Amino acid sequence: MNKSTSIFGGVTIIALALIVLMPILLPSVTLATEILIFALAALACNLLLGYTGLLSFGQGIFFGGGAYSASLVMLHLDFGLISALITAILVGASLALIVGALAIRRTGIYFVMLTLSFSQMAYFLAYTFSDWTGGDNGLLDVPRPALTLFGITISDLQSSEAFYIFVAAVFAIVFVFARRVIHSPFGTTLVAIRENEGRSSAVGFSTNHFKLVAFVISGAITGLAGALYAMLLNFAPLSNVELLMSENILIMTIIGGTGSLIGSIFGAGAIVMMGDLLSSIWPRWMMILGAALIAVVLFLPGGLWGGIISLTSKLSSIKVKKNLTSEVTK
Amino acid sequence: MSSNYLLETSGLGLDYGAFSAVGHVDLKIKKGSIHTVIGPNGAGKTSLFHCLTGERKPTRGSIHFNGENLTYLAAHKRVSKGMSRSFQVTSLFQTLSVRENLRIAAQGRGGLNALKFWVPETADKTNIAKANEVLEKIQLAAFADKQAGELSHGQQRVLEVGMALCGSPSLLLLDEPTSGMGVDDIPIMTNLISELGKDHTVMLIEHNMRLVMSISDRITVMHQGNILIEGSPEEVKGDEQVKKAYLGESGSE
Repeated sequence: MNKSTSIFGGVTIIALALIVLMPILLPSVTLATEILIFALAALACNLLLGYTGLLSFGQGIFFGGGAYSASLVMLHLDFGLISALITAILVGASLALIVGALAIRRTGIYFVMLTLSFSQMAYFLAYTFSDWTGGDNGLLDVPRPALTLFGITISDLQSSEAFYIFVAAVFAIVFVFARRVIHSPFGTTLVAIRENEGRSSAVGFSTNHFKLVAFVISGAITGLAGALYAMLLNFAPLSNVELLMSENILIMTIIGGTGSLIGSIFGAGAIVMMGDLLSSIWPRWMMILGAALIAVVLFLPGGLWGGIISLTSKLSSIKVKKNLTSEVTK
Repeated sequence: MSSNYLLETSGLGLDYGAFSAVGHVDLKIKKGSIHTVIGPNGAGKTSLFHCLTGERKPTRGSIHFNGENLTYLAAHKRVSKGMSRSFQVTSLFQTLSVRENLRIAAQGRGGLNALKFWVPETADKTNIAKANEVLEKIQLAAFADKQAGELSHGQQRVLEVGMALCGSPSLLLLDEPTSGMGVDDIPIMTNLISELGKDHTVMLIEHNMRLVMSISDRITVMHQGNILIEGSPEEVKGDEQVKKAYLGESGSE
């Protein structure tokens, strides 16, 4: 196939360039780390919203589930870095399997309401079982174990630069994986379901199986993001499973551009940076976030990434015109 | 079940509450034939079609396909059995290219095989080959890379049938293939269906009488949920009961 659908070409190169540039251009490495972690969550949300057409308010469940589970196995069972992350992936996937299996039984508005209800339930579960989750205080003293592969310690990950490099490597792997997923028989079927579920079923797909697997993959990646977030903060706050977290992930996905994986970096970047810069200036900065979302939905239906694409194509068409007129005048 | 018939229904019926849309229908579709179901509005054609495609669960009776009872089989599972359908209201993947529409339709025949998320979609060459083969057959090769939604209505109707073909069906179920087509486009569809009739068994619902009379091997006329008569185009054309049903002389309409 051509370059644009090759998993290592096209936008993957842009994503890698962004990963390298972000810590240089942004005011702090920690900020860049936070952006990449939320970009992971937005990318996972994009698989559901952008590619399958499922608006899930349940992403916070998987994010929080990943954060709590990784923290708990590190605190109580002395799990290392990789095994803690794998635990988070498995827990995220399992939670998504449960939520997905029940929610996809309904479509449209009822599906959305079901994910919303699960999200509320998860919050109160986490709040109630405060012995495990720390309740309102969150889970404190979450460690950030050293990166050890085959018995060799590669880095203790204590410096924020080292942790950024680790998160960036994880992000790159997940990004390439997600590219594989969307350019596969499975991914193209998801798009078909988004486009026309009735027809998809009529040509032979049992659409619920596909939606469920999409949920599980999305949950796994979101769980991973949650675990990395806990390691970044050394803390797993209750806000991870709040409805607001699900909303934020959705907003990042939409602002970045639904249906484009690279857009997730822009979406996460925009929201995390706005939060970081504006919250110190004005405590009501969320109002600006609302305005930004309205602006994107009304004027940039393809999100930030869609905006960039149409801008570059406009610029290049202007260039072509200029070249043409200059040649005519010659 | 007799091997001469690809599809047989016996006593098939569908009720909506107290109203019986399909009464007791014994429909037999011969292998290799083009079999048309006609009838005035409200005769129960579409309801019968829904039962055959699995969109609706019949209230009574049975459907045997290739000797196998699949009365209550889910719609998507019928594709792998060899049944494929088109829609009366064009139902495409609007923003995808014509080729991709066909490739995905071909992918559907494999059912859960398409859950593979670790290989490129181009890995399965048979689906691409099928899409290209159908592109040629429905003569849309020149528009292969165009978005399905940008095609003319006539072309969309042809693609609609093409997608059903991608399932490599032994029985092709077409729901009013000329629905909404302009007079100029209808011969294209007529040719396409009679061409398909050479390699497939085709069952269709249709209103366009010229098309029906020119390509059908058998015609079943439905009236008020039941079969009025079944016969060759000549037999149906000359039948008094059919004329009455269409003109509504019985006063029941």
